[in-house]
Amino acid sequence: MKAELSEFRERLEKRHERGWKLKKKGQKLIACFYGLVPKELIHAAGMVPIQLVEDRDSRYEEQAGLPPYFCGLSKNLAGQIFSRVFDYVDGLMVATVCDTNRRIFDVWEHRNLFPHSLLVRLPVKFSERAVKFYGQECRRLARELEKISGVAVTEERLRESIGQFNENRELFRKLYDVLPQSGISGEDALHVFGAALVTPVEDHNGLLRKLLASLNVPSAPDSRTKLMLCAINLNMAVEVVKLAEKYGARMVTNDFTHNARYGFEPIRLDGDPFESLARGYLGRVPAPGVYPFEARANYIRERMEKAGAQGMIYLIQLYCDAYAFEYAILKERFDSWNLRHLKLEAEDTPSSIEQLNVRVQSFVESLL
Amino acid sequence: MAEVEKREETADLKSLLKKISAGAQYREMKSAWEAGRPICVASAGVPIEILYAMEVQPIYPESHAAIAAGIGKAQEFFDLARERGYSQSICSYTRCGLGVSWVNKCALGPIPEADIFIGDVSICCLHVTWWTYLQDHFQKPTFFVDLPATDNPEDPDYIAYYEQQLHEMVEFIEKNTSAVFRMEKLKETVRNSDLAGRYWKKIMGLRKNRPSPASFRNISGEILPLVIALGKKEAADFYQALSYFYEDQVKQGATQAKGQEKYRLIWNGIPIWHHLQIIDYFEMKGANFVWEPYTSMSWGNAFPAGRLDPEKPFRSLAEKYTYVKWNMPLEKRFGFFDRAISEYQVDGVVMFSNRSCRPGSIGQDEMIDMIREKYALPALIFEGDQADPEGFSMQDAKTRIDGFIEVLEARKK
Repeated sequence: MKAELSEFRERLEKRHERGWKLKKKGQKLIACFYGLVPKELIHAAGMVPIQLVEDRDSRYEEQAGLPPYFCGLSKNLAGQIFSRVFDYVDGLMVATVCDTNRRIFDVWEHRNLFPHSLLVRLPVKFSERAVKFYGQECRRLARELEKISGVAVTEERLRESIGQFNENRELFRKLYDVLPQSGISGEDALHVFGAALVTPVEDHNGLLRKLLASLNVPSAPDSRTKLMLCAINLNMAVEVVKLAEKYGARMVTNDFTHNARYGFEPIRLDGDPFESLARGYLGRVPAPGVYPFEARANYIRERMEKAGAQGMIYLIQLYCDAYAFEYAILKERFDSWNLRHLKLEAEDTPSSIEQLNVRVQSFVESLL
Repeated sequence: MAEVEKREETADLKSLLKKISAGAQYREMKSAWEAGRPICVASAGVPIEILYAMEVQPIYPESHAAIAAGIGKAQEFFDLARERGYSQSICSYTRCGLGVSWVNKCALGPIPEADIFIGDVSICCLHVTWWTYLQDHFQKPTFFVDLPATDNPEDPDYIAYYEQQLHEMVEFIEKNTSAVFRMEKLKETVRNSDLAGRYWKKIMGLRKNRPSPASFRNISGEILPLVIALGKKEAADFYQALSYFYEDQVKQGATQAKGQEKYRLIWNGIPIWHHLQIIDYFEMKGANFVWEPYTSMSWGNAFPAGRLDPEKPFRSLAEKYTYVKWNMPLEKRFGFFDRAISEYQVDGVVMFSNRSCRPGSIGQDEMIDMIREKYALPALIFEGDQADPEGFSMQDAKTRIDGFIEVLEARKK
């Protein structure tokens, strides 16, 4: 299992080197910002979707040129882009999850930072009219992507791509079902899903299959306090997992806009695949604020119950409206359910994270 | 100078203002409440003409937040939000507006419980979360007028998607309240809206004169009926009389600004409601704001057709409400600044970097770069919040303004 897990870590940590290698082989890549980009379309156009992932280098934030009240994630990504870290990609696709990610697209486009920039016109509603509109939008995006890759996005190709991503969803679901008993550390679990953001889906499916086959479930009984983590920033999440584990807890499951949530429902393969794709993306629970809160809160509670988590840490990156707002709303239910949780709000800097130390320790101890 | 049409007889401005002021609108809302008319908590950007046509009384939390901040009564709502776990990094309109909804009270007095909620998605993403929360918390029927993020709001398919939803919005209101839709009423409110828009556009045009007859401080208050009473005859009448007032000011060479107009500026952003006196300070230093995207790019029939067509009300409203300037690429947005700088003979630009308004604040550096490249105008950026005064220092702001005025002075020499 160790060898399999280290491969996910390597995929995430060496994502840029691997990106350049793919580029040199003639493979085209499209950067995605953020989780609602329909990656199946990129794949069907013969390209590799690569998520823009935050880096642990505060110099990027300084280079972003954004006011201080913008979230560190957007500043970090902007800094990386200005520093030409993502120059191996052939284009950018942005799907709106918040005001910052929508408007920063304008700045990047204005500065001509990508050879091609596509804004996804993503409805916020899940109605038949919205599905129809978004199905047409997916067709429009497909035509744009074809221009970049030269590969036609036929219905057949799109179905194949949806099939690949459905397999990825299914493998994720299986992994998260066994995660609490698997012996996989909280940090390693983050690497598994982090790698999915930057790895060709066929490769990630292969890695997940190998990992699942290597698991020896159930592993030895574990008496540590079990926790769930809800977060958006991968690096901050790793730090908080380390803190929690330092104080005797174990992060048995997690919830990001990707991973288990994204794997809830496969996208249907019958009928018009563009419309199926539209229906799949509009009907999921991908980002805070665009899904009924009751379902969102229930999902977190159920996931905690399933994983045996005694408490939950909700980690907000400072100035992230979407998570800050969602937390305040979910808190009403968490409090009424007496769901033990800790809200942390911090910047992605060592000093900011360090300040969470005592709070994480107290929370873990309170659950003993 | 803008075209001045033949004048009609109007009631005097003061009596018209009394009918359309925030207080008058509040009293009207109370009357609607007592009469049992449907109450709708609506976000900015919801086509108000439809609500008034159906005799649905809107409550705009964002306007209430601005009013509360303007009269120094927003703090209790911010405190409520903080107690409920709302981070201060969340938009101050949202925090204040939620406070208003939780306690059914605004800065002017009690407000009724809503029957329905309608949210719009054209301006900011927070509207989605905010109105989804209202639906979840108060368990009331809720409708979203969906306007997906776009960089091409003029796409016919996009406008058609919106227009179809306006029909659905009417069905939603009829299904969930006692309100009844009548096409003739909608044509009337659209006609009134069009008139109000025309007069507002004329007022904005009059500000091209030297001196500009208006003060941004007054304009910041005078815009309120466009936000909360568009579609009403009283609003159209008010703006007609107001345009005559400003015409007279122009003829007399007078201005409402507090000082002599030496410098003509652009203000980019929402006004700082809790410290509107900052505008006075600019004016006393001889700097008058003559154009603002906030007042000129969103109101006054500012969409390609330039007029609402009462005979095609749904289509016309769709064309108007989808034409959101913030959804356009920066180069296109610069086009609006470009025209304003030359037509209004602008000497400098003030950018309000607003902690609560990321859509309005992002891209300001790029805008300044484009303005400097073409016009070499000086620009001042200062950071603050539209409604929450925490952390705002008037003294610091004055120091920065003093420095900016010195730059403007040096350039005039």
